[in-house]
Formats: sequence, C-alpha cells, structure tokens
Amino acid sequence: MPDQPVPVSSVMLMTAVFAPVAAGIITLFLPRKRTTLRVLISLAGMALAFGLVYAQVAQIAPTSAAGRAGTAVIPWIPVLNLNLAFLADGLGGFFALLVSGIGVLIVLYARGYFGDEPDDLYRFYPTLGFFATAMLGIVLADYTLLTLLFWEMTSISSFLLIGWDRYDKHAVKLAMQAFYTTGLGGLGLLGGILLFGLETDVWRWSEFLPAAGEDSPAWWLPEYGEISWTNPMLGAFLLMFFGAATKSAQFPFHYWLPGAMAAPTPVSAYLHSATMVKAGVFLVARLSPVFWALDVWPWLVIPLGAITMTMAALIAINQHDLKRIFAYTTVSQLGLLMCALGLGALKYTDHHNNSFSVINWDITQIANHAFYKAPLFIIAGALGHVASRDITQLNGVFKKQPAMCITLILAGFALAGLPGSISFQAKELFLYAIYHSYQTIGSWWLILMAAAIVTAVCNVAIFVRLTTTVLGLPGGMTADMGCPAHDDHAHHHHVDATGFWGSMMWVPAAVLVAFQFIGGIAPGVWEYFIRPFETNINYEGFQYLPSLGYILADTFKEGPSIPLICSMIAIACGLILGFLPVFRGAIKDVCDQIYPTVYWLAVTGGRRAFMLVQTGNFRTYTVMVLGAFLIGFAGSVLRDPRIIDPVYEAMSRGGEFWPGILLGAIIIVTALALPLTDSRVVRVLILGACGFAVVGMYLVYRAPDLALTQLMFEIISVLLFVLVLRLLPRDESKSRVPRWWRGLIAAAMGIAFGWMTIVAATTPRDHTLTEGLLLGEMFARHSYKGTELTAGRGGGGDNIVNVILVDFRGFDTLGEITVLALAALGVWSLIPRRRSPKV
Amino acid sequence: MTSLILQTASKLIVPLALLFAAYMTLKGHNAPGGGFIGGLCFAVTLILLRMGVGPEVFNRMVPLHPRVLVFVGLAVAFLTGLVPLLMGYPFLTSYVTDLQLPLGASVHFASALFFDVGVLLVVVGTSVGMILRLSQEVEA
Amino acid sequence: MTFVMAVCVAVVFGVSIYMLLGRELKGLAMGVFLLGHAANLCILAQSGSPVLPDGEGLKAPPVLSHGDYEAAAHGGEALSRMVDPLPQALILTAIVISFAVMAFLLTLIIVSARKTNTLDINELGKEQLPTPSQAH
Repeated sequence: MPDQPVPVSSVMLMTAVFAPVAAGIITLFLPRKRTTLRVLISLAGMALAFGLVYAQVAQIAPTSAAGRAGTAVIPWIPVLNLNLAFLADGLGGFFALLVSGIGVLIVLYARGYFGDEPDDLYRFYPTLGFFATAMLGIVLADYTLLTLLFWEMTSISSFLLIGWDRYDKHAVKLAMQAFYTTGLGGLGLLGGILLFGLETDVWRWSEFLPAAGEDSPAWWLPEYGEISWTNPMLGAFLLMFFGAATKSAQFPFHYWLPGAMAAPTPVSAYLHSATMVKAGVFLVARLSPVFWALDVWPWLVIPLGAITMTMAALIAINQHDLKRIFAYTTVSQLGLLMCALGLGALKYTDHHNNSFSVINWDITQIANHAFYKAPLFIIAGALGHVASRDITQLNGVFKKQPAMCITLILAGFALAGLPGSISFQAKELFLYAIYHSYQTIGSWWLILMAAAIVTAVCNVAIFVRLTTTVLGLPGGMTADMGCPAHDDHAHHHHVDATGFWGSMMWVPAAVLVAFQFIGGIAPGVWEYFIRPFETNINYEGFQYLPSLGYILADTFKEGPSIPLICSMIAIACGLILGFLPVFRGAIKDVCDQIYPTVYWLAVTGGRRAFMLVQTGNFRTYTVMVLGAFLIGFAGSVLRDPRIIDPVYEAMSRGGEFWPGILLGAIIIVTALALPLTDSRVVRVLILGACGFAVVGMYLVYRAPDLALTQLMFEIISVLLFVLVLRLLPRDESKSRVPRWWRGLIAAAMGIAFGWMTIVAATTPRDHTLTEGLLLGEMFARHSYKGTELTAGRGGGGDNIVNVILVDFRGFDTLGEITVLALAALGVWSLIPRRRSPKV
Repeated sequence: MTSLILQTASKLIVPLALLFAAYMTLKGHNAPGGGFIGGLCFAVTLILLRMGVGPEVFNRMVPLHPRVLVFVGLAVAFLTGLVPLLMGYPFLTSYVTDLQLPLGASVHFASALFFDVGVLLVVVGTSVGMILRLSQEVEA
Repeated sequence: MTFVMAVCVAVVFGVSIYMLLGRELKGLAMGVFLLGHAANLCILAQSGSPVLPDGEGLKAPPVLSHGDYEAAAHGGEALSRMVDPLPQALILTAIVISFAVMAFLLTLIIVSARKTNTLDINELGKEQLPTPSQAH
C-alpha cells in the first residue's frame, strides 16, 4: 500500500494526536519566565487536537459505516501488524473530544493552581501534553498494537505526574504502585491483543468491530463462544479485560487510584477522574460489541463492576480528605460504568416482541461522569489552596469562597444524581438496564438493584454533607470529627487568589458543571451534541433522551416505574444518611495493603533467591550449569531411548585403525593421570604429553595444519604454564581428598559428552541450506575455482583449510584475531610493566 | 636463563626457523601452513632467541614492542578487507592472479596472502608479547 | 575411529570437569586447558572417520593438487576420498584463541592471587559478596 497517497483524514487525526505533545515540547524552548505564552501554546495544542477531531467527526458521521471504517494506512512496521491508522467512530471520537476538550480547561486550571511558578509550569505542560497525546492515541488508534503502545505511554505519563513532587518519597512510592499495577495490566492487554490477532489475523479495531447495521460480527461464535479453557477467544478476552480492569481501578486493583491522589490536583482532575482511568472503560466498550457473545462476559463484568461500585461508595462516605472522597466515588462510578457495559450483553424483549441489548445511551453515561467529577476535583484542589482539603476544616467556608462553594455544591448535586442534572437521567438509564435484565438473569437483578441503591444512597449522603459543611448548616462536618487530614502539598504555591488567573481556579469547573445542567434541564441540547456518538439507543420511549418533564408526565400517566421508585428511595435514604451522625469517621481501605504486601514478598523472595543462587562461589555456578545440562540430557535420552543406537554402531567399527587406538590410549592415560599427581612440574609435563598425543590424533585425522599449529601451541603453552607457576604461591592446603560427588558429576558429564559426540558425528547432515552439498564439500569444490553457486568466484588456493580461514570465513578470522589482540591487551594491562630502577 | 649450549644452538636454529616460518606463511594458501602456523612458529623462534641471548641482547635485536605488531597486523588484515569494498566488491573479497615471472615461470598469487600476513603479525605480537611480559615479571 | 575419539572426548572432558570442580585455581586452569582439547577433539570427530570406507588406508588431507577438484573428487564427491576441511578450519582458530584465553586466565589468577593471597576458590567466594542492601 505504500504507493497509495495518504488521505487527509489520516494525517488530520495523526496531527490531532500529536498536537498536545508537540505544543508541550515547544514550550520547553521558551524562557522560564514566559508563563503566559507557555499557557497559550499548551492551550493551542489541546485546542488544535479538539478542532481537528471535531472537524473529522463533523465531516464523517462517526456512527455511520464511513465513520467506522478507519482511515487509510500509513505504513510503519507492517511485519508486526503495527501501522498508523486512526478510527474516530462514536466511541473513539467522543473520547477524543472529551480528552482534548477537558485538556483545554485543565491547562487553564493548572495555571491557576500552580500560580506564577515558572519551574512547575515549565515541567508540567510538556508532561501534560505527553499524556494527552498518549490518551488521544489510545482512543483514536485503529491498529490494536498502536493502542497498546499509547496505553503504555499513559502509564508512563501517569507515573511521572503522580510522582510530580520528586522529593516526596511517599508520592514516588505511590507513583510506582500505580505504574506497576497498570503496567501489569498492560502486559495482559498485550497478551490478549496478540492472542486474538494470531488466532483471527485481525489487527485493526475497524475490522474487529461490526460494520454499521450488522447485528453480530461474531463469526467465530460457533467455534469459540463457549467457556472452555482451551478457547483462545476466551483467553484473549480475559487478558484484555484484565488490562482494562487494572487501568479502570476495578476491585481488587482499585487501590492505585486513591493512591494516585498524591499527584497535583490538575492531574487528579484530568487523568484520574475524567480521562485515563476511563481508558479501561473505553477498552471494554470497544470490546463489547464483539465479546458480548461470550458466555462468560455478563458473569465476569457485571459482578466485578457491581462489587467495585458498592464497595468504593461505602468507603467514599467514610473519608475526610476531599480528594480521597472523590477518588473513591470515581472508583465507584467506574464500577458502575463497567457494570453497565456488562449488562449490555443481556437481552431484553419488550411487549412488542422487539429484542435488544439492555444497554442504552452508554456514551451519555461516560460523559456524565466526566462533567461532574472533574469539577469536584478542581474545586477540591482550589479549596486545598485557599483553605483546606480536609472536609472537617471546611465548615462555613462558603462565606469566604462563595464562587468555589457554589460550583462544588452544583457538582455535588450531579454526583448525587438529583433531578435537574444529566446525572439523574444517566442513573435512570442504568436502573432501567438493571430492571430489564431480569428476563435473562432472573432474581439476580434484585441484588444488582440493591447495590445500585446503596451506591446512590452514599452519593446523596456525600452531597448532603458537602453542602451542609461548606454552608455551615447544622448536620455538617466539624473539626472535632476526627484528626485533621494531612496537609495539602500545594500550600507553598504562590497563588493569585484574585484576578483572571485566580478565577481560573474554579471557572473551568463551572464550565463543565454547566454541561450537567444543560443536559438535565434541556436534554434536547445535550442530545444534539451527544447523539451522533451513541450506538446503543434501544429502549422504547428513550429514543430521545428523556427530559425531567417527560419522566414526570409518564409517571402521572402510568404510575411510577420501578426504576424511578428505586431512585426516589435512594434519594430519600441518602438525605437521611447525610444528616445522621453515623459513618463519619475516616476509615482505611484494606486493599491499600495489597501492593505493599506483594512488593514486600517480591523483594524478600528475590533476596532469598539471590542469596541461594548467587553464592559468589565458582563451584556453585559450575555445578548448577552442569546439573541443568545433565537434566536436559537425561530428559532427551528418556524421551527417545533409541539415541543409544549410534553408540553401538560406532563401537562395532571402533577398531578399524590401530595407530588411532594407540594414540587414543595415550590421551586417555595422560588425562587420567593428571588429577592423580601432586607435583606442579609433573602436571605440566603430563599436560604437554597429552597435547602431543592430540597432535598425533590430528595427524591420524589427516589434518596437517592442525598438527603443526597444535605442536607450536604446546611448546608455547608449556612455557606459559612454567612461567605462571613460578609467579604463583605454593599450595597451602594439601588435603586433596577426592570427593565422590566431583567424580560422579565428572563421569556423568564425560559420558554425556562422548555420547553426544557420537550422535552428532553419525547423524546425517541437513543439505538443504547448501544446495544439496555438505558444507565441507562446498568449500572443497570452490576452494580453487568458483562455480555459479559462488557467482564464479573461487578462493584460488589448494589448501582448503587455509582458504576457509582467510577467504570463505575471513570475516570470522578477522574477529578472532581481534579477540587475540584484546587478550594480549588484557594481559599487558593486568600486569603492568615494572620500570627498571635505572630509568 | 642463558646457557652456552642454547646460545650457540640458537644462532644456528633461529635463522632456519624464521625461514621455515616465512615459508609456511607464504605457501599456506596451497599447502599446509598459513598465518596461524607461521605466526606461532615465528613466535616460538623469537622466544627461543630470547632464552638464548637473554633479555638485554634480545631487546637490542628486536627493539619493537609487540603491541606494534598486533596493531599493524590488525590494520593490515582490516585494510585487506577494505580495499575490495572501495572497489565495489564485498568486504574481504580476494583477488587471484598468476604473476608471470621471467623464464616462463609463474607464481600463483591470491590477495588473501596480505590477510594471512596480518594474521601472522597479530599472532606473533600476541604470543611473544604475553610470554615476554610474564618472563619480565619472573625476572623482576 | 569415531568411537575411539568419543572415548577420548569423554575421558578428557570428564577429567577437565573434575579439575574445574576442584578447590584450587591452578587445577582449574588446567581443567580449562583440557576442556579446549576435549572440545577440539569433539569437533574433529564430526568430520567422520578418516578411514576409507573400503578399509584400505586413510583418506587424503584436505589439500587439492593444483586446483584440480575433479581429481580429488575422483568421479564422485570429494569428501568420500578426502577428510572434511570445515572442522579443521574451526579448530585451527580455536587453538590459537584458546592460547590467548589461557594466557588471560592465568594472568587473572596471578592478579587475584596477589590481591587476595589465596588460590582457594572457596576463600575467594567468601569475599566481597554484595550484601542485599548494597545490591538493591
């Protein structure tokens, strides 16, 4: 495909992906003091990404067939099925807009948060741009492996941003915890992608997904749909889901997300609430249309999501630090999204006999969370600057910071899912999905509904407490309700509390919250923007996003629906719980111990293994290597006992040349005599004798070159040994007790090696690589004259061995004389020449 | 370490042995021999010479440090490979020809001989250099 | 002949392993030396028996006579009448290299003996093992 011109949209989306990091790199070249220019360039990068993606999705409707097709391929590493192509379908396009859009606001907020601190901003914007690029890459990449690449990049940028305060050891530790946890998931994702790709040869999401209008793409379903451990589809799904679950902080891997709150608040608001943690949800949503067909999907995804959702909500209400509260509600909401996607695999048949998936308006669910959670974090950071991040210290803070508190209360209103925010509709849709699932999963739906109600109750209670506390109303949290939480690291920033940049502490939050209420009060506007991205609009009566009025009118006409009743129960209970004096302490999350425990076990185990294996004793290493070899050899003998046959065969023809036997006997006797003697000189002489017998053996084997070389070598070696022995101290230990295990290993190794020699020497050679000739035969044939095999070039010599050395394998010989030179250099430098005294 | 017998014998043996080493190297492409053998032969001869005449005389006779031989040898071998590369052939391509001599004789010649000479120099330099350094250490 | 060679390889290799497992460094060096012999013999054995198949004498050395491959091949493949040159070429460099390696090894032993004042491997092993905290 390289000849095909690269169409505009590929380049456009690629530019969108790389715009933020490019802008970030440009800011690195600015003088440190030029803060405003820095902000503007970073802003431009994000805005450019947003604009390009918007232009793309406006040009080609993302849910249409063209939108799902993926852009043309720019070849990168075709052999690895890794090329540059992009896909801005409903899911990807929406996420890209979300990432770049919130990115714009976060750039502004970061300026407010860090204040006029040149050093922080100098470092922050490039890192933020790097993250934004990675995140855009995940959601827009068409090649599965490209997604993985960007996925890992988000892990790296998250690590850099969590460990922002490089001198805070605790923060660095938490950054590593997040990195290892999500990195482990990344490995799972890699495995899943490879397994799926190798099994189906599908390496692009656009080929993976069903074409528009088609119901099920699961052509593999008859073969692979069932649960069985040998099912590669199941393996691929489980591995990929593992990656998604760690990234999206699903139980029990959720511990890294509250830990990640060590990051500066702009990071928490951006990465750890609105974008990066949703990468897992994004991935599951990507997989869902295909893997919904797996039997295991609902039984894995729904319970995991439900457990995460409920547990995190219960922990959230028992926290004091604002960022921790919101972190746990984030985990809870991620569980909810996961649960909703899990429910999508279930079918519902209405009274018109239409059968459809119970999921509905899933993009709205995702957007809803981003539009209230990012503001909550933004205000948490802002309050941390001007007052405190500990909720017990915030009683009555409204009087000092009305703008922030109003934004906080409005965002909290959405958190609680109260009528008037889009959050309310989203919760209704989720409750409908649970209610509709009863057709498939029977009375399990009651448990799910209970979990949803508990979650909603906690969220409402959190909202109530936030409101009463900041307004200073009765029922709010007060300072005597527990020890003050740890201080905000950000206190040392010199922040403009007023003015344009001061207002940037809360304005970005207000903008986002506004979307919540636009959606809640005027669903038509919301629908105008979000509808083009939605692929699952299934319910009767929900073809348009229901407005509050519609729900009320429907209630008056037909009586309250079950989801609405549940919702009302949740709100009522939440209001009561909000004022009750229970659940007000700050509890610890037991899962926080998972990573430290695993880390401790790994380090301790590693140290033990190190001490066991790395003894520093040469003999231990030798025994280990030889033992491994012997085990391998024994294994191959056991596998094929006929390997002994060549030995008998060779033995029968052993006596064909008597001088050879004589020389062999001399070699054997001299070798055996070596360990039996004590005297150093005798030993050297024996070595020499053995060498001369080997020279004779070379002659028998008709190797004159070898015999001559070995002869010279023996002379020099004996000399070498004599010299060295004079330089070495005498042996101090005379106890040369022959150890039985030494003899045993030596005998076993000797037998194994002799055996292997015979087997190797008598096995027929493979001629296929050398055009049917033995390699030696080929060298012999071309030693003097060339043939067409060597393009007519011969070595021009009669002595084949020498021709091989200097011609056929000349490069090899060049390497070997280099080794010689290096050995000589080693000797010269290890024993430096002593200057004679007269000089 | 010098003895009269060795001293006398080395005067006779060394020239012959050097001649033999040279013969081995030059003939190596077509008969048993070559750079490795020639080099080792050469080295043994030089060591014999040193044992015969003693270090002071030897240093006067052979003023070169062996590392010069190693360096030159590596350079020669590498350049032999490089020349064909410059002429558009693969690295280390050998050039074979029959040189016509007067009186109708001809010598078969392959450019791989230069490579062999490089090998010889490295082998001589390495072996002699290492042995000499160790013997200096013993004598010190 | 292959069997004779294999027995030689087995014994020389076994002895060299025995020496390698010993406690003193000089024996270890000799073990390495023997290891070279064993490996060379093992490779040489791969060229097959040098005895002609009809049992009448030995094969020719791998040297052509004035470039005449056909004469060496004698109507068939040259290796039926001539020993395989490839193992010999491999061993030739191996011999010289093993000399260099031996010299280097012996030098190392000299230096280590001077530094630590011992030739016992077990004594060497006890020294300077990085403690885990340093290794970390």
